[in-house]
Amino acid sequence: MNNSLLKVENLTMKFGGLTAVDNLSFSANNNEITSIIGPNGAGKTTVFNCLTGFYKATDGEMFLNKNDEIISLKKFTDYKIAQKAKVARTFQNIRLFPAMSVLENLLVAQHNELMVASGYSIFGILNLKRYQDKEKQAVEKAKYWLDIIGLTNRADDNAGDLPYGDQRKLEIVRAMCIDPKLLCLDEPAAGLNPKESSELNKLLKFIKNDKKTGILLIEHDMSVVMGISDHVVVLNYGKKIFQGSPVETRNSKAVIEAYLGVDE
Amino acid sequence: MKISAEIKTIIKDSLFTGLISLALFGPIVGLKTSSKGEGLFVTPHVSIVVLLVAACIVGRFLIGLNSLRKKEINLIGNITSTISNYMDNKGKHVAITGVLFAIVFPFLPFTDRYVLDVSIMILTYIMLGWGLNIVVGLAGLLDLGYVAFYAVGAYSYALIATTFGWSFWVCLPLAGLFAGFFGILLGFPVLRLRGDYLAIVTLGFGEIVRIILINWYEVTNGPDGITGIPRPSFFGLEFKKFPDEGETSFHTFFNLEYSTMHRIIFLYYLILVLALITNYFTLKIRKLPVGRAWEALREDEIACKSLGVNPTNTKLTAFAIGATFGGFAGAFFATRQAFVSPESFTFIESAIIVAIVVLGGMGSQTGVVLAAIFLIGITEVFRDLEQYRMIAFGGAMVLIMIFKPKGILANRKPTITLKDYIK
Repeated sequence: MNNSLLKVENLTMKFGGLTAVDNLSFSANNNEITSIIGPNGAGKTTVFNCLTGFYKATDGEMFLNKNDEIISLKKFTDYKIAQKAKVARTFQNIRLFPAMSVLENLLVAQHNELMVASGYSIFGILNLKRYQDKEKQAVEKAKYWLDIIGLTNRADDNAGDLPYGDQRKLEIVRAMCIDPKLLCLDEPAAGLNPKESSELNKLLKFIKNDKKTGILLIEHDMSVVMGISDHVVVLNYGKKIFQGSPVETRNSKAVIEAYLGVDE
Repeated sequence: MKISAEIKTIIKDSLFTGLISLALFGPIVGLKTSSKGEGLFVTPHVSIVVLLVAACIVGRFLIGLNSLRKKEINLIGNITSTISNYMDNKGKHVAITGVLFAIVFPFLPFTDRYVLDVSIMILTYIMLGWGLNIVVGLAGLLDLGYVAFYAVGAYSYALIATTFGWSFWVCLPLAGLFAGFFGILLGFPVLRLRGDYLAIVTLGFGEIVRIILINWYEVTNGPDGITGIPRPSFFGLEFKKFPDEGETSFHTFFNLEYSTMHRIIFLYYLILVLALITNYFTLKIRKLPVGRAWEALREDEIACKSLGVNPTNTKLTAFAIGATFGGFAGAFFATRQAFVSPESFTFIESAIIVAIVVLGGMGSQTGVVLAAIFLIGITEVFRDLEQYRMIAFGGAMVLIMIFKPKGILANRKPTITLKDYIK
């Protein structure tokens, strides 16, 4: 059986004297949504930053199963995580390219393929058919995703002019445009109203079921977490205090204590 | 009742402005030193100071009154927004008309040698502006040392042409290549820096290049510069009244009366073509993945990394391409002047080019043209004011900043639209 997508082993991240993530081990499966929850400052975003190459983990290993080939994420730094390992992410505070159009945002996500097709710009300057075809494919892929989130009619507007909820969705589909194996979402439901939040759930389920992409989710909105997660990992002070199904998590004493405190 | 209170504050405001301008103009304009016989004497220029201060007070008062009426008489703002609206609708027509005008320009009745010289200068700045626009406008890397690449281009052209005697058309690409190479050389260590830090290091680089040019006497001939740089020829035809043995001159070949204007007109067309190539290339590459990545990097570098865009390589291409065009412009400068010296590559040149790009509207090609014509043109118009013409230059900048804080043409057009694709 090889359903395991991500395996994190003894991950530790220290900033000077502060240990933000302490000896954390967990795994995430293909076609599943794994949520990482925990009180503020528990180290959730730090885990993401280690996974996606923004931080270099102090210790521990992270393995990704990429088409039955096990690769160590530690070997990739920076942009190579997205380019080579196909791990995509979104950010807690939305990071779109606000002055560029929605369509352009989605094309930048396909930069590496387009770059090769444009012969590192040489074929592109000469306007060769080979590049034009590739560009057409890229636009079609972008349109496919825009149709899914219902933003096709705003494709040529600036991304920064979209309403907040649409910006969130756009950031997610932009990450999907790199064809990721693993999609890491940092609080995608933050600031969304209930309607937008349920649309988000639908989108994430679609990505999980139809795109066969594993999702790692940091979220505070429990309606999202409990509604769509297959698996929950609970962190507190950088340590894993619980791992299990949403129902188990809800009933776990350790989790309740971490969130609400201990009875005197 | 309320109005009069407001007028009171306006008057107060204007008097305060007068005070500041008095403090500024008093020592700068009011006191002039002159040497008579033995030693320096101070001659006060009271009347000029009074005039300038009065102008400031009246100006401030008028601005205050204007804002009172709520309906701003925003002349420059109105003109430029009309232009930018027009450009959005009819951009292509305007561009073609502009190019056609530029082509017939040397043969218009009012075009004399002086006007043509100024036009060549403006076109050089337009080309430099377009080159720097790739770096500053598209990739968002504030490069305050762009003149270094201009200098590298000019000196490599000068050295190659004087040492080997190769023709202009061989030396020109070489000068561009050298400048591009320097762009990469500087880019590697520097592009890890961001924002202000990058600006400071590039500023330093610009100065380092100039100081090397001054001190490396054996190669660059130091502050004396390089003289006798060959002029470009028209496909082998020289622009000389009495051509050397075995050369054909332009006027005899075409059976024309000899005139120095021929060479000037040729130089005009040369820089026009070079500038248009720069423009065409930029417009083209902006629509390619690398161009989009430049703009994406300008918008958000972290998001770019999360999408697998290699920031260092992407910035490096922007830097190298910008530097190459700077090098071409430098080669043109060298062949036009027939003389280069480190004097021509001071920081003020970099500052003017950056000003043209920023005031034109970052990333806007037409904006660069308008800003170059406006800024360089205005300093030429006020040439009679001698040293005060820099005030006109500064004034022009302030005007643009007040009325168009984002630059003359700040509208960005998407590089690709779904609308056109689905059609």
